Amino acid sequence: MIAFEHVSFAYEKGRPVLNDISFRIEDGEAVGLIGANGAGKSTIMKLLLGLLSGEGKITVDGDEVKKENLAKIRRKLGFVLQNSDNQMFMPTVYEDMIFAPLNYGMSREEADRRVDEVLDRLGLQELKHRHNHKISGGEKRMAAIATILAMDPAAVLMDEPSAALDPYNRRIVINTIRDLKQLKLITSHDLDMILDTCDRVILLSGGRIAADGQADVILHDRALLEANRMELPFRFAGEKQ
Amino acid sequence: MNKMEKALHELGEMDELAARSSPIHRLHPAAKLLSTIAYIIVVVSYHKYDLNGLIPHCLWPILLFQVSGIELRTCFYKLRIVLPLVMAVGLFNPLFDRAPLLYLGNVAVSGGVVSMLTLMLKGVLCLMASFLLMATTPIDALCAALRRLHVPAMLVTLLLLTYRYVGVMTEELAIMTDAYHLRAPGQKGIHVSAWGSFLGQLLLRSMDRAQELYSSMMLRGYHEHFHYADIPRFSLRDGLYLLGCLAFFLLLRLVPVAQLLGGLFVR
Repeated sequence: MIAFEHVSFAYEKGRPVLNDISFRIEDGEAVGLIGANGAGKSTIMKLLLGLLSGEGKITVDGDEVKKENLAKIRRKLGFVLQNSDNQMFMPTVYEDMIFAPLNYGMSREEADRRVDEVLDRLGLQELKHRHNHKISGGEKRMAAIATILAMDPAAVLMDEPSAALDPYNRRIVINTIRDLKQLKLITSHDLDMILDTCDRVILLSGGRIAADGQADVILHDRALLEANRMELPFRFAGEKQ
Repeated sequence: MNKMEKALHELGEMDELAARSSPIHRLHPAAKLLSTIAYIIVVVSYHKYDLNGLIPHCLWPILLFQVSGIELRTCFYKLRIVLPLVMAVGLFNPLFDRAPLLYLGNVAVSGGVVSMLTLMLKGVLCLMASFLLMATTPIDALCAALRRLHVPAMLVTLLLLTYRYVGVMTEELAIMTDAYHLRAPGQKGIHVSAWGSFLGQLLLRSMDRAQELYSSMMLRGYHEHFHYADIPRFSLRDGLYLLGCLAFFLLLRLVPVAQLLGGLFVR
């Protein structure tokens, strides 16, 4: 379970990016974090992962996000970066996937088994020994998700998982996200993807929560979305309100 | 593909060469590393006029290229930028050392020419040996071997991350040069007036990306301790290879093989 209690953050003094944010996400929930550019979506992710620290209290399964708890918290959170090139820093997919399990004390045999399980589940065995610089953007995104699932995290955080993907690969990524059983927190401008993968949406605007509720209700509300510099998902764009 | 992208591609190709399979690839990385170091030390130890003694040392890299299935021309192609620099090292020797050292028929060859050729050959052989090591051993296996040889973890991690970050920096440079040339058609290279901001931006962008990469590592449990490749134990075969190499280098160093062979044909 993830909880933000009265969290504020500013990169520069006097210009808060987040202003008194509070929300809770329960285990198994799939939440889409949406908002215009600069609304604070990525900042929320970074605060949760302990890459930034602000005011207020953030907890993961009751443990507060602070230096002494970071190792424990990060063990539970798998973060898929927006740019897969920044995530895949080892020469091959296999070496990237085995990186986290080995760091978390797993033996190489166990880690190997884990890697194979994940690759089988995602149907990516063919990528196992491929070089990261030789795979396509879609394959790289799937491989990046696989590296995170190899950690067996309790929650999966994703930053723009469908960005720069063609429709076919986008659909594969969406189906993969839907199949994940973990708590999911996804930031994206791709509102159709959010509709397909999340039950709940948190709409950020001007550093505050403008709406928090059922995805299909919020993403159907043209007035609300437009007031917060967003648009209806494409599938609702033709509908009369 | 611009020059930087080509460089990046070639860097990736080195990983692919190292991932191939051959008797040399399958050797323990420590055996390859130690034999390469020994080879370089022996080659460098020759006197500046001892071109004769140095020539038989060409055998070792040529033999290894054959056994590893890596083409010699791949080596020279990849080293095409460094080779001229190495060759240039002794270029001025003939100007300073003009005393005749030997005669080829009636032609006097000065000590400067011989020392230049010796220096060039030494440089080329050392580069070939280093290339062979890199082309037959993945970088993380090499790092694992260095750790087994008790090289400090900090240095080994530095080596590995530098290798990784070179790629990151080259990628950024490729993007920036593309963006520059799209707005400066017909211009060759980067104009000197843009060098300052170009380098500054490159540094900032590379640091941003390096920070992202580092965050990605930290979020996956990295804590200044790298788990290098799982390399096998040092076997009898590896020991024999290493001993064989050392014996071969010593033999060539102590016995004037080239002179003995030449003596068979010339009285």
